[in-house]
Formats: sequence, structure tokens, C-alpha cells
Amino acid sequence: MSELAHIADLPDVRSAVAGDLAGSLLDAVREKDGEAIAAVTGFVASALAQAGDELGLGALRRISVVGAASGCVVAVEGDRVITARLAAAKSIPAVERFLDGAGNGRV
Amino acid sequence: MDAILQGLMELAGVRAAMVLDGSGQIVAHRGQAVYDRGVCEQVGGTVTKAIESIQLQQEDWETITAQYADGRIVVRKVAGTAAAARHVLAVVADQTLNASFATVALRVAANKVKAAVEGGSSQVPASGSQPLPPSGSSAAHPGDSRPVLASSGLSWAKPSGPGSSAAGAGSSAALSGVAVADPASSAFLSRCVKELARHVGPIARVYVQEGVRRVSPDAPFSAALFRPLVDDLSGQIEDPKDRALFRRALLESK
Repeated sequence: MSELAHIADLPDVRSAVAGDLAGSLLDAVREKDGEAIAAVTGFVASALAQAGDELGLGALRRISVVGAASGCVVAVEGDRVITARLAAAKSIPAVERFLDGAGNGRV
Repeated sequence: MDAILQGLMELAGVRAAMVLDGSGQIVAHRGQAVYDRGVCEQVGGTVTKAIESIQLQQEDWETITAQYADGRIVVRKVAGTAAAARHVLAVVADQTLNASFATVALRVAANKVKAAVEGGSSQVPASGSQPLPPSGSSAAHPGDSRPVLASSGLSWAKPSGPGSSAAGAGSSAALSGVAVADPASSAFLSRCVKELARHVGPIARVYVQEGVRRVSPDAPFSAALFRPLVDDLSGQIEDPKDRALFRRALLESK
């Protein structure tokens, strides 16, 4: 099973998209609008990476978006950007832990 | 709003706290020396662009956390009426930030900011903006929505003219003694402070202010003076390697 399929199988994950910082779509699971997701998250990750650079915070690792009814976790590893869209924000910590593990080569 | 941001600054790990309006402009700011208002203004614009893009896919967002190798940025939406809902509260923190405490503190602070914005106190928001004003600077003008931007010593003010806010920009220039020709020049000065601070510490802001006055005593600081200013500021760095790094950071990436 691919890393993206693993992520998509986590509780409350609606879809998972892999892209790059340029906004190109690499792969998607259960996401019909993968190109748009990859484009937006690529731009967001690039912008926040720039903000972190200006503030001297080092490399951008992850972005978590908590909404009233849903959530989103974006993991950045090098040029690669993985986006998990969640049906419930309460599951964000579990997805973050998984993505941190994936980043450390445990998946 | 000063007290609200000061409360956030007291959280362990918080280095800067600010309120941004819908266009990414800083409404109020508190921060440690290296996170002065100029740097935060630059970052505020970038963060606002990111927020606008996130809203395309998640309109109901409440909190955005960007986790970095050496810290994080946490942004909280200020809900409320149309005026308040355009504002966000942002915190820059190091790795020691307790995320749970920060979540609660930001929620409370966002409610207070909402009340302040809806109550109209955003018109005098930045009374506590860091760093402290240089001696001799005058008090904020009534009605100037960015009074301490002007008095911070890091407020690179665009001179009055067509398309600019004459009252705000003019008074800023008068208060700080440093005028800039355009936003790019302002951004460059902020970068100069940031890069110089790596080598000389918080005194960088004073060096930059003095440097601008030396290279551009009579006219607003502009792009043509970038290199002369870097030449001037390089003299403040004793170590030749550090000096070369400083020059490269500013001249090769402009």
C-alpha cells in the first residue's frame, strides 16, 4: 500500500493528495479535484516557507488547518507536499503523528 | 489591544504577537527585537496570501499552525462582524511553545480583539508596538492608525504624495527621521536590520537608521542606495567572513 493510501485510510481522512511546492499534482486518493488541491497547497506551503525563512524559523515541516467542522494537514518534505483533508478536525493530531512518522521513514 | 498582545507575549516561547487586517497590514504588534514591526509587516503580507488561498478550500478555518524546524507560526481568525472578521491574530513562537496553552490563549485573545475592533479601539492599536521609540520621538497623532510604526525607529515611511496617505506617511517620516521612496525600499531596510542583527544583535536597528541618514541625508531612501547602504553597514561587522555573508545576503538576493 502506498504512503498516500495509508494516509487516506486514517480515521476521518476524506482524501489525500501528493504534490510539490510548484503546485503540480503527483498522486491523489479519493480526491476528484486533486489538481486544484495540489496547486493551492503548493502555493500555501511556498508562502509559509518564505514567511518562516524571513522569521528565521527554519524549514517548514507541517501546516495544520483547524476548521469549525473539518480540518486539513499538509506535510512538507523537501519539495514534496502531502495534503490530507479531514472530515473532523479532532483527528488532526493523529494524522500529524502519522505524517511525522512517514517523514522519519517509518512508513 | 496592547494588553491583549502583551498577554500573549507572556506565554512561554512566544517571540512576537500581532493583529493583521484583511490586507495583511499590521494593526497592532508586540515582538522581541529581531521580530520588529518591519519584519512582521513583510511576513504579515505573505501569511495573508496563504490565508486567502486556504480559504479557497476551507472557508470555515479557525486556526492555522505552520510548524517549522525551529518554531511555529499560529494564526487565529477573529470572528465577528464584517469588520472584525477580516482580522487575524498571529503569533510567532519557538519550539518551547505549549500548543495547548497557545490554543486557549489565542482563542481568548481573539475574542478580546474582536471586542476591541468592534468597539473601535483598533484606531489606536499599536501603543505597545515594539521596539520602544527612540528618544526624542513625539507622541502619536490623533487619528493616525499606525502611531508607533512611526516612532519605532524602524518605520520606513513612504513620503506623502499622490496615492499615499498624506497624514499617516508624512507624520511617520517626521517621527522616525527615515523616509523611503517605495515599498521595496522599505522591505530592503527591514531585511538590512534582520541580516545585520545576526551579526551585531538588536543594535542593528540603530545602525541601519544611522546608515540611511548617512547615505541619503536629504532624499527618501530608494533602490539606487541599496549598495551604498550595505557598504556603509558592512563597516559595523568586524569579522571579514561575517561581513561577506552579510553583503551576499543583501546584494545577491535583491
